[in-house]
Amino acid sequence: MFIGKIVKSDSHINYVCQIYGPREVEVEPGPADYAFGRFVRVAVRSALTDAPDTRIVERALGKSQEPVTYAVGVIYDTILLNPAFGSLGPRLSNETQVELFSPDYISEKAVLIYVMILGMIEQRTTLLGASEILSTMHGVPLLSLELGSEIEIMNDEEVRAFHFFSDPDRTGQAAYLHMGYLPHIIGQRNSLLPMVTLRIIDQLERLFPQNLSLLSIVKRNFAWRLKVETTG
Amino acid sequence: MIDPAHIAPSISRPIRKPVGITKGPGESTHEYTFVSRDDAQELKNGEYVYYELSEPDESGLTRLDGASAFTRRVLGRIIKRVPLKLYPDTFLAEPEISPAQVAAMVGYDARANELFELHVAIMGYYEQATGSFINPWIPPQSGKQIFLADDEMLATILSRKRAGQNGSATIGSLLTRAPEAVPIVLSVKDLVSTHLAIIASTGAGKSYLASVIIEELMQPYNKACVLILDPHGEYNTLSEIANATQFAEQGDGRGSAYRAQIKVYKPEQVKVRISSLKIGDMRHLLPEMTEKQQYLLNRALRKVGETKRGTPWGAADLKAAIRAVSKQKGDEDSDGADDSSTVHALTWRIEERFENSFTFDDIQHLDLPEIFKPGQCTVLQLNDIDERDQQVVVATLLRRLYQARMDTERGKVHSGEYYLPYPVFVLLEEAHHFAPGGTEVVSTSILKQVLAEGRKFGIGVGLISQRPGKLNADVLSQCQTQCIMRIVNEIDQKSVAAAIEGVGRDLLNNLPALSKGQVIVAGAAVNTPVICRVRSRFTKHGGESKDAPDMWQNYFSPEAQESRRRSEAPLNSNNKAFNLMR
Repeated sequence: MFIGKIVKSDSHINYVCQIYGPREVEVEPGPADYAFGRFVRVAVRSALTDAPDTRIVERALGKSQEPVTYAVGVIYDTILLNPAFGSLGPRLSNETQVELFSPDYISEKAVLIYVMILGMIEQRTTLLGASEILSTMHGVPLLSLELGSEIEIMNDEEVRAFHFFSDPDRTGQAAYLHMGYLPHIIGQRNSLLPMVTLRIIDQLERLFPQNLSLLSIVKRNFAWRLKVETTG
Repeated sequence: MIDPAHIAPSISRPIRKPVGITKGPGESTHEYTFVSRDDAQELKNGEYVYYELSEPDESGLTRLDGASAFTRRVLGRIIKRVPLKLYPDTFLAEPEISPAQVAAMVGYDARANELFELHVAIMGYYEQATGSFINPWIPPQSGKQIFLADDEMLATILSRKRAGQNGSATIGSLLTRAPEAVPIVLSVKDLVSTHLAIIASTGAGKSYLASVIIEELMQPYNKACVLILDPHGEYNTLSEIANATQFAEQGDGRGSAYRAQIKVYKPEQVKVRISSLKIGDMRHLLPEMTEKQQYLLNRALRKVGETKRGTPWGAADLKAAIRAVSKQKGDEDSDGADDSSTVHALTWRIEERFENSFTFDDIQHLDLPEIFKPGQCTVLQLNDIDERDQQVVVATLLRRLYQARMDTERGKVHSGEYYLPYPVFVLLEEAHHFAPGGTEVVSTSILKQVLAEGRKFGIGVGLISQRPGKLNADVLSQCQTQCIMRIVNEIDQKSVAAAIEGVGRDLLNNLPALSKGQVIVAGAAVNTPVICRVRSRFTKHGGESKDAPDMWQNYFSPEAQESRRRSEAPLNSNNKAFNLMR
């Protein structure tokens, strides 16, 4: 499900997205869709621009077997934007009247979400319609995202695939749980990021019950620093 | 001859890999530190590493390969290992999850996670000519490559002799390397001339090591003349040497073939001739004599010595002399002092002490040329002999040996009982009985004398003790080669530390960590103190502790019960009651 599009970026890994408002999409995303700590993905245009795009129809139909690269991120902040706030000045009609009398008046109110990019995932759809993960990478993506790119929420299966893989440079190694983005989350100066880490761990605990003890090490460490050391 | 320290890196050297890079000077003057990842886990404590030091050629000549500098290998020993990079404590919170797993999860490549700072005590570069290590007096520059000393290099420079060479004693191999990789070879010449001390707690393998040394001394490349004074009767298994092929050598046509001889004297065969006893020995054997008794005995001894003139005399002669002396004295001072009770008491004590003793004999005693022969190891078992008598046996024997060697060396004798024209080595078990610290016993002074001056006359002494703290400090300090095994007692550790040479002292911190059969060898017989794994014996070991539970179990075995039942049967001739009745 697409929930919005990129309208601005603060850095290579920090993007601001505007959530689709009423009448912009068929199904309007609700607050549950862009909840704090939710994993999202954005398709990256990695192909060369001057190459002729022959499979545009296939892609439109969702039948393309070309690999698609996504940047995977996490929602870590939400801003409710209301430019009308504070301007109490004279107005011709109130809100309900505007809707009634000038339906083409575009509302300036918006919900903005902040997304931090955690890594990349490359996948393609097989002939049978299943999605196949080709590679996964945690850390800073090489390619930047584009303004207007659509943001899609990830389901549990995709989140699991993003976290559970084997290291590409070691052949024959069993897949294991990765949280390779953790160091660069901690490196960011934002007061909400530690909290988002705890949320991520909560989700992973649900997705990977077999790794509870491993996750508990990181979780307890974070919880201690966040909850005990800051209050103590 | 090629000096191994001077071989240029290009010549005949296997490809070697540096193990680390120098960081800087260490805590003390002769230490440096280097940093290593040590993936192979080979940089153990006590391991030997070296760096290369280029020094201008002293001769000033340009060598064939054009290089005008020597590359010396400055050897050092790792003394401390400090981790530089450790996992955070919180990573260690779950016992079943390894910290590497946590690190891998957060994206850390766990292939190289450890980093160590290793402290090295500089020993110096080895100089073949002097056989010693020369300290460069300067720590290495930062950034120098550190190499692990290879087995071959260590074998060449740690030991003064090569294995199997004449005058060598291979007692084992370097502990930090694979067994047999780096043999530790003692120089028998230094071992024998400047004395040896083997010190260890009970059960650490003292007598095992001693037997290994004896085995080496009896090899065809040493053919030593050894005497073992064995208060516990543990060394009789050495007699296997006489039949083992490795202790024999084919004759080359000129001389006869060599075969090591082992002679074991049972306690009842160990005899001391009464005439070889001095007044000090007498005083020791007959304690708490009154002044009068001592005076009489002293005079009698002198008298009997004068009348017999070197020929042996016995207890009866001594008694007669006492009576004669007392009578003579009675005649001299005629004021009627009655010595008869003293004489009676003294003669009674001498009778009681000597006439039924199987150690003290009128005629027989240990014949020096018989017990000391090159290629022969003589074991004197003293196990059934009372401790005081043991001390006298040792004292008289050492005194006679010292006399014989001194007289032979000075050319006073050319044949006979006191002619010993070869150096000897005496191994003294339980040395703290014969030279205890604090008190003086009858064997202390002769032992001190032999240790101090024996070198001149070719008498080497090996002391074995489990209580260095109880051993006379002078005696211990005279032993220039020390073999120290596990010691737990703190007093003992301190007294060992005081006796060992300075360079090896840092090794002593390892003392409680040593296990059975591991020994620190320091002193004259090796080039530098080393920790060695004692090799296994060719002959069986005799000094093992008893397996008590096993023997108790045995008591109840069907065979043992049956034999007991039979011997206790009422009609058996062993049954006392039945015999009485009969």
